[in-house]
Amino acid sequence: MSRRWTAIVVGALVVAAALFIGARMAMNDTGAPERAATGTGSFAARTPWGEPNLTGVWKGVPLGASAGRDTFNLAKLEALYTPAARTRMKELSAKDDPTMRCAPPAFPRAAMLGHPVQIIQRPGFAFVFTEAYPVFRIIPTSGRPHTSKQYLFPTYMGDSTARWEGDTLVVDVMSFNDEGWLASPDDKPTNGSTGVWLTSDAMHVTERWHRVDADTLEYQARVEDPKTLMTPWETPTVTFTRQAVERIEEVLCRPEDGPETYLARLGS
Amino acid sequence: MSVRKLAVIAMLGLSSVAILALVAAMGASRASAQIREYTPPKTADPGADWTKRIEEILPPGVESRAEATARIAAYKPDPGKYPVPRTSWDGKPDFSGVYWPDATVSPPPMPLEPLYRPEAREYREHGGAAAGLIDWRGIDTPNYHCWPPSPVVGSMGGTVQLVSAPGYLLLLNEGGSYFRIIPIADERGPQPSAARKPSYQGSSVGHWEGDTLVVEVTNFNGKPWLGPAQAPNRPPQTSSDALRIVERWSRPDAQVFEYRAVVEDPKMLTAPWTGAADRRGMVPYDTVQESLCFLDPELDARHREFAARQTKNKTGAGGR
Repeated sequence: MSRRWTAIVVGALVVAAALFIGARMAMNDTGAPERAATGTGSFAARTPWGEPNLTGVWKGVPLGASAGRDTFNLAKLEALYTPAARTRMKELSAKDDPTMRCAPPAFPRAAMLGHPVQIIQRPGFAFVFTEAYPVFRIIPTSGRPHTSKQYLFPTYMGDSTARWEGDTLVVDVMSFNDEGWLASPDDKPTNGSTGVWLTSDAMHVTERWHRVDADTLEYQARVEDPKTLMTPWETPTVTFTRQAVERIEEVLCRPEDGPETYLARLGS
Repeated sequence: MSVRKLAVIAMLGLSSVAILALVAAMGASRASAQIREYTPPKTADPGADWTKRIEEILPPGVESRAEATARIAAYKPDPGKYPVPRTSWDGKPDFSGVYWPDATVSPPPMPLEPLYRPEAREYREHGGAAAGLIDWRGIDTPNYHCWPPSPVVGSMGGTVQLVSAPGYLLLLNEGGSYFRIIPIADERGPQPSAARKPSYQGSSVGHWEGDTLVVEVTNFNGKPWLGPAQAPNRPPQTSSDALRIVERWSRPDAQVFEYRAVVEDPKMLTAPWTGAADRRGMVPYDTVQESLCFLDPELDARHREFAARQTKNKTGAGGR
């Protein structure tokens, strides 16, 4: 029954989103913008300086959990929360999800949204841009230490540093603020799920980005958060597919950008 | 965050690792076999600095914006002394660096306001209501709404990071975390396309003219203002979806970059307008930091209430 309702709600949302986007396109009077057929980004397996080339616009599939269907290992995550964290989670609800007020979800949550991400590399750095929320990550790829304590402060996306392990980019992320959630309020893997997915400022994420072939990028993360999780949690491997465009869309999370990104979340 | 606080967090982290190790040892079934060894990440030594800074333009201690701006404006680029950095992959100027603040090298040849079409006056008087603003005479400005900075200044805020990468110039704003991804045309490959949804920052396509990166920006959404918020009795300098900007980015030497935009908007302006030539100096950081812009829903609600009251008062007095 609940699955049926989820399907109905999701269906209604898709129709509403389609109508909304259609209306906006008509209002803008520019016709339906077509995605470019080709991209200029290099598809070569290696960058000119010899690293695996992750450059491109990559799109995942929406992942999450409802009763009986769990595509992001969330039942496991739910079971890992400490009793103290559970107590706090029972006091919160969907409206407390920071993305409701347009705070960007950090990875790995950002990897389960199904929206495009763009990666651009230069020697010593990779840059990750997300379309779902207007935010970027700067990832040193030279294996250097994290930002010095002098400049380090807690953020939504955390402080990243990375090194290559073979052809896999292993990114170490720390210095999160304690506001982010690890999944969405809609994600309820069990009947007892609260849909609340707290993190703490002790969270530490290890990500593995690996380009399998020209059109496929794999992502996997391990989350340690000793203040909220009893043991580390592993995400499943997320598969991203290359999009033939040079860049992601500019999508700002603003009230005037439409109900699907802001007002609906505020519940007004 | 204080070092002490960090030390406490680090200790907590370490002790948790110890507890985790104990838990893992006690019950192997609890710990997943795929969990890898965890070494707590190190942070760099205090004062660690990965930027090879040239300290002539902004020596240590220059922290006031006024002084920095004056120094950058007065600076004479010297490529003989500070050769233009070039990329390893195409030999073009490498813009990569963090820059602050902006100094006007030469002002616009003429002011913008006289170029506005008289027939655009009514649209402007409505404060760009079509663009979603409700009370431009008050505090309802693009800035207030967390829109990106004006495209006339390249959508650049106070501190910006530029990144040269194969096929791209990236612009990362510290204020608001806005970014621009500028594909650069490669004469051998397929040309970048500007087709996507109209946006605040438009769709950029760059190409090289010698050592100058020329970027054409189109496909704007008609919302940005071309100038800053005006005095209360002057309507905002709105733009339309016909806005087209041609930017010229150059790197006179290793210390600075320069920027100038030519703005066309046939629905708003009678002729193209040339903006100020801006110069920004490199500062000793190699990345900008996360700094997001949030519109406070409570403040927004109060603001809308205020605007509604104003409208009602005006109507009560027989309109304007």
